[in-house]
Amino acid sequence: MSSSVNSDPGAGKAGTGGRTLVVRRVGLLAAALVLMVVGTKDIRALRVYRETVVVSNALTAQVPLSAYFDGIRGTLMDAPVYVFDSGVPGGSVLILGGAHPYEPASPVMAYVVMENITVTRGRVFVIARANMSAASQGMLGNAYPPFFRVKTPWGEKQYRIGDRETSPLEQWPDPFTFVHYPSTQNLAYQDSRNLNRTFPGRADGNLTERTSFAISEMIRREKIDLTIDVHEASMGYPVVSTFVCHQRAEEMCMMAAMMLSAEQFPMKTETSPKSLRGLTHREIGDFTGSFAVLMESPEPFIDKFVGPMTEELMLTGRDEFMQIAADRGLLYAEYDMKTGATLDYRVGRHLGGAAEVIKQMGEFYPAKKIGVTWPTYAEVMEKGIGYFLHDPAKADRRRVFLN
Amino acid sequence: MILVQEVIHQIYFVMAGLIAVVLLTRLFRRKTRPGLAYDIVYAYAIIPFILRALHIK
Repeated sequence: MSSSVNSDPGAGKAGTGGRTLVVRRVGLLAAALVLMVVGTKDIRALRVYRETVVVSNALTAQVPLSAYFDGIRGTLMDAPVYVFDSGVPGGSVLILGGAHPYEPASPVMAYVVMENITVTRGRVFVIARANMSAASQGMLGNAYPPFFRVKTPWGEKQYRIGDRETSPLEQWPDPFTFVHYPSTQNLAYQDSRNLNRTFPGRADGNLTERTSFAISEMIRREKIDLTIDVHEASMGYPVVSTFVCHQRAEEMCMMAAMMLSAEQFPMKTETSPKSLRGLTHREIGDFTGSFAVLMESPEPFIDKFVGPMTEELMLTGRDEFMQIAADRGLLYAEYDMKTGATLDYRVGRHLGGAAEVIKQMGEFYPAKKIGVTWPTYAEVMEKGIGYFLHDPAKADRRRVFLN
Repeated sequence: MILVQEVIHQIYFVMAGLIAVVLLTRLFRRKTRPGLAYDIVYAYAIIPFILRALHIK
């Protein structure tokens, strides 16, 4: 080291000046390392955190997604699949949560389902975190809090707020242009890591494509009748508060939207555009036998014009800039800052929306009827989602899973 | 195909580690721009490469 210092014109001559220079640089390096350790505390916590779920007694199996396609085994994308089989012949449904982790009403809805579900006919499959890699990092440049906490009668339950796309730690590099398989449609480069742009997936594709392929394989092998992909949308996005449905599921979605709008909350429906490739509502409908439905709830947190993106905004959805946008008619869903768009409201919408679509599938196709219950929209609005989340410390250990 | 992807992906981390080593070397051993400001820049710029090489960020 001393020879290097001697070779540095700025170091002056060997001796006290050289040692001072080395000490200065070691000090700066140590300061940088301290800064790195302190500054990445939340990043490291988000990377390793696992959510706890107390699954209902209706659980019959938990299998890794890689059981359907080995190409994702050993990766963060190998999500656990929870199976609730009544043992009575009937229809089957997949609830797909967490494809975009920065839309957290989606996995939380899946958790509320898993913790409270009863099944009397047919089968229910739940994936709460479809893209765990994306859930393990924050969104670059958006200053999101890493976690949010839900109050329950026994304490607080913590959930993560993630990103939209698979982390570069799991998949790199991005292509200059992402060419969707098999349509060959050109998409934005980052969509190569977007789980909801890579369906139906491919067995020898990138990690996100392989994950989509594994989910498609599961749907095909299990002959799942209905796939409900749960999302949240910014309120300046036209398909907010909407079912987006493959044309084969069009009628059941229309009926479900009508019933929900008449009895519970405003809900629109839209048929999946045939030219919009890679999304579940298009590709699962085209490449599997399943009816494909995507649900969007209103999430002010992800709109670009809101104020500070805090945990409170995530939980309450109350924002003055959102109100200004609403007053000027710039939003595609009703908004009132007094009530906001709380997590309870968004999760309740998803619970009610999924239950209604399942019910309508049974009306249109009696052989595919599923007998299932979970907390209703009205119950969640009255009691809050925390009421329906169970204390892992007091639960039967066989029912507690780290997700 | 998957193997090639995996090799390229691992090269990513190796490259990040190598750049961190180069920056570290230059922090202590360089012939131009010896001032304090450059010392700070070199020390600070190492951070993202260490984080990437360690699979943290």
